[in-house]
Amino acid sequence: MAYSSVPYPFTARHYAPRLPELRDGVDVQRHPVVVVGGGPVGYTTALGLARQGVRVVLLEADDSVCFGSRAICISRRSLEIAARLGALPGFLDVGLPWTGGRSYYRDTEVLHFQMPQDENQKLPPMLNLAQYHIEQILLNRAEELSHLIDIRWQTRVTGMKVDASGARLTLSTPLGDYAINADWLVAADGGRSTVRESLGLALQGTSYEGRYVIVDILLDSQRATERLAYFDPPCNPGSTVLVHKQPDGVWRIDYQLGDGEDPDQAVLPENVMPRVASLLEMMGERGAWQPIWTTIYKANALTLEHYRHGRVLFAGDAAHLVPIFGVRGANSGIDDADNLAWKLAFVVQGLASERLLDSYSQERVAATHENLAQGTKSTEFMAPPSFAFALMRTAVLGLALRHPRLRSLINPRQSVAICYTGSRLNTALPASAEFDAGPVPGAVLPECPLTHIDAGNARPGYLTDLLATGFTALYFSEAGTLPPVLLTAFQALMALPAHLAARGIPFELRLITKTQSTSDQPSAWDHTQRLFPLLAAKPGSLYLVRPDGHVLARWRQGDANEVLGAIDHALRA
Amino acid sequence: MTDSELDATYTRLCNTMTTLGETVAPLFLARFALLAITHVDDATLVGQWLADAERDLASTGHPRSNI
Repeated sequence: MAYSSVPYPFTARHYAPRLPELRDGVDVQRHPVVVVGGGPVGYTTALGLARQGVRVVLLEADDSVCFGSRAICISRRSLEIAARLGALPGFLDVGLPWTGGRSYYRDTEVLHFQMPQDENQKLPPMLNLAQYHIEQILLNRAEELSHLIDIRWQTRVTGMKVDASGARLTLSTPLGDYAINADWLVAADGGRSTVRESLGLALQGTSYEGRYVIVDILLDSQRATERLAYFDPPCNPGSTVLVHKQPDGVWRIDYQLGDGEDPDQAVLPENVMPRVASLLEMMGERGAWQPIWTTIYKANALTLEHYRHGRVLFAGDAAHLVPIFGVRGANSGIDDADNLAWKLAFVVQGLASERLLDSYSQERVAATHENLAQGTKSTEFMAPPSFAFALMRTAVLGLALRHPRLRSLINPRQSVAICYTGSRLNTALPASAEFDAGPVPGAVLPECPLTHIDAGNARPGYLTDLLATGFTALYFSEAGTLPPVLLTAFQALMALPAHLAARGIPFELRLITKTQSTSDQPSAWDHTQRLFPLLAAKPGSLYLVRPDGHVLARWRQGDANEVLGAIDHALRA
Repeated sequence: MTDSELDATYTRLCNTMTTLGETVAPLFLARFALLAITHVDDATLVGQWLADAERDLASTGHPRSNI
């Protein structure tokens, strides 16, 4: 049977190179921030900086968004970040939301898992779409902010010099070469980072031997969007196969190569197509299909020791490579960018000491270790690294149907938001300990519906809508007249935004009430009565939240001086 | 035992077997089985487990190593 390859149902726009105004071969402007790499991490960093009002130059070696099958799953946490950057509608328009998956051993379903999803959520736990979609959506948003984000296509870094005050890059474009000076350099240039290599840095960790073939096909199917995993399937005995539905009729198939199979041979159409055909037959998919793209993947668990090297900051695959199982690649990179952008913006604007950037490295290196621990466990199950892991996996899969207690071992451990438990930015820990529930300092604020009340108008919304560009204080109160002790504290809190604005620090105070407020003050009403218990909040409680949505501190009784102290601690720590 | 404790114990078991090697691993599992049996101390329960562990094994064949 002959198979012809078809293109992706996606047409990438192509962008021309451009030279800035030059003097003696050097960009006449010195830039506060240059980001190297136009992938999901580079765009998220640029959008995050622009959100804080910081200009950024983004360098991309190619002339369009990426090609092929790379990141395919975007987590709820990444969607929250996209929402803050104004890019959420694009994701929701294109992506396929999903909440769970099924694992099969031979011909029997042994696990049907659900990701955390309840009535409090605004966003799905996971969304499938191709990386070229992800990049195009972020790029579209960046183009709306072209007064702050200067994208330079077909511009390749050929050399760099870094000193204590910044970096000087030599760049090559089809229109000619030039140099550019920047105060800060963000390396978001991927797994084979040129910047990393230029600095003589190497990723450390483990590379796994098990190889997977990745095949994208175009398939006509009405099957629901779920993560499907087949262990030792009748269509490909001894192997493991993963199937993900993507937008526009694209299906991503990952299957494990057996011992001794030659990777170069394995990606040839005559070896790939029969396996896909037998898989689809086993799944009962009778629709027409055509192959689009094939590649090979080997799991890595690697990281730099530090993500800040003086004036150079590493993010995404340039900083770490995590195994694909559990979808932590692009999602952890987007989280890096979200953590880095506000901190770099505050430093560039002179609002924080450079040490704030050390907390970027500390928090995100810790996050990588957590991601690697989870990703390694997933990989040990999906691509067993020794006879022992293979033997035990066979035992688990064979027993899981009759012994449900074992099923958690098959669960793919999908990416979840990381808590910066040990962050030195966290403060007022004894005050936090007085809460018996809710997010601790370092944790991401949970989601919950509420009603926004403004000038007598009520509209439905969510807790995360309240997060401002800078720091946000969430103050919990009864509606109506406050008792004198709370009123004094509240009046002092009300004066904080103006006080901090005078210092240039963006800060908003948001009022959340137990009953619907009738005052002129804008507020949010906990109409479900679920938010107060979720955060263990009582009238007078205050949560102080960072620009990236992580809790910085919390108090049973909010106090303006405590809030000021916590912000100063974060910016000067 | 929580799910994450089960996970950690499972990984430790696999790593121990890997370190011991394929030849010694069956003896290690045998010793572990004896410790578990005597700790459970319930002949009926252990009898059920022995039957469950044996069930369908003939069709499982030799597990494929993926190294």
